[in-house]
Amino acid sequence: MVRRLSFTAAGVVIVIILVIAFVGLFMLRRPGTLEGTPTTIHLETVAAVGAANEWPRPDDPHPDWVGYLPTTILRVPANSTINMQIDQEDGATGLRNPFWGKVFGTEGGNMHMTYFDDKGNPQEGDMTSIDPTQAAHTFAIPDLGVFVPLLGVNSNAPAGSTNVITFSFKTKGPGIYHWQCFVPCAAKTVFGNGGPMQTLGYMAGELIVS
Amino acid sequence: MSTFRIEEADRPHVIRLAILWVILSVIGVIAVLQIQIPPGDETVQGADQTRTLSLMTAMATPVFIGVVMMIIYSAIYFRRKGRELVDGPPMLGNAPVQVVWITVSTIMVLFLAFVGITELATNSSAQTVPGQSSGTAAAGGSEMQVQVIAQQWYFTYRYADYSGVETTHLYLPVDRPVELHVTSLDIIHSFWAYQLGVKADANPGVDNVFHVTPQKLGSFQVRCAELCGIWHGEMADSQGQVVSQSDFDSWIAQQQQDYAAIQKVVPSYAPFYFPLPLTKGS
Repeated sequence: MVRRLSFTAAGVVIVIILVIAFVGLFMLRRPGTLEGTPTTIHLETVAAVGAANEWPRPDDPHPDWVGYLPTTILRVPANSTINMQIDQEDGATGLRNPFWGKVFGTEGGNMHMTYFDDKGNPQEGDMTSIDPTQAAHTFAIPDLGVFVPLLGVNSNAPAGSTNVITFSFKTKGPGIYHWQCFVPCAAKTVFGNGGPMQTLGYMAGELIVS
Repeated sequence: MSTFRIEEADRPHVIRLAILWVILSVIGVIAVLQIQIPPGDETVQGADQTRTLSLMTAMATPVFIGVVMMIIYSAIYFRRKGRELVDGPPMLGNAPVQVVWITVSTIMVLFLAFVGITELATNSSAQTVPGQSSGTAAAGGSEMQVQVIAQQWYFTYRYADYSGVETTHLYLPVDRPVELHVTSLDIIHSFWAYQLGVKADANPGVDNVFHVTPQKLGSFQVRCAELCGIWHGEMADSQGQVVSQSDFDSWIAQQQQDYAAIQKVVPSYAPFYFPLPLTKGS
């Protein structure tokens, strides 16, 4: 009887330790932090993090998930102008709310983009909005009022093409600001908002202003 | 039916308790009435809710004090002395006491129910309008129509009376009745602007209607009150504003100007929207 109770108690203790370890490891797991140099951030958006042009993550647990690379944790200085460059390699998904096709909160209220037109020819220009149905992703920091739609690579563009989007925005005081994508780009999930959209390191990120 | 009679030995306790109860209840009610119970008086509906909650709390206070006081008093004065285990004296029902107790309780509960139902039926009336497909919003009426659109993880707002302009913050003119139409583009959210006295479910395919009349200038917070994903906790906005009509006119004019860039590709104002695809890659 005592022996059986001892085994049961030991089993319960082991299970509790395993549960705590699992939850603890899950909570501690975070993507690395990208620190701007000192106010420039360069990111890449891809349809599958395992097959990116610049910062591929072939050993990622979800290599076929959509994501921002090399990381989604960004550290920037407070009350500064941040210059962003996003190399956008994914195709268009389209916005659930077309309203987000407009650029908000950037310096000058616009963004600069090199892209490919319907004939596959390279184009370049400043834009204040894009066709919402042609959006691949957005880079949005709601608490800073920054919403930038990223045009999907045209299907007629040469293979491996990238749209390069540049813009600037100003940070406020110190704090942690979440940033997200408003395009439901998580393939094969309900409303496209599962998986990578709900996981730090893919389409969900933090802007650490310090 | 037995007559209500207080034993001679119990009279000091009853008198003491009654005096104590009256004093503590008066103090308690006065204290409760000093508490700023939310949502406050930023809107007519919010003020009504605050008034109703204050009334209910004030009425509940003497009851609460009476119960707690009896427990504490009994624990002190009727505490068993010594270690001997002896049953207490048998307690038989006292019909007059029970009649008074049930009658008073019934009157209080029915009164509070009447107050609550009346409040719900008048100022804070809500109306859910499930529909089959997108259509045009009901036009007309003196209330300004504002649509609240929830999406993971932000609220946007469309002003039906201003050519359906969509904005990232909620601005409302003071002293003007507003009809809020709350809906969602994806999953279930909840639009909670507690200073306005509004908490409304935001369901896809549903037009959830709430009425609000701001009566004080100032700011208010908006947040989601339905667990909706990784950034649920961030689905908030502290830049809601109640402004004067002239300030509102200037603000909405600027919004319309900004909105022109995207207006052509945004769907017409509708009670709700069913954007596709529901599943990417399906």
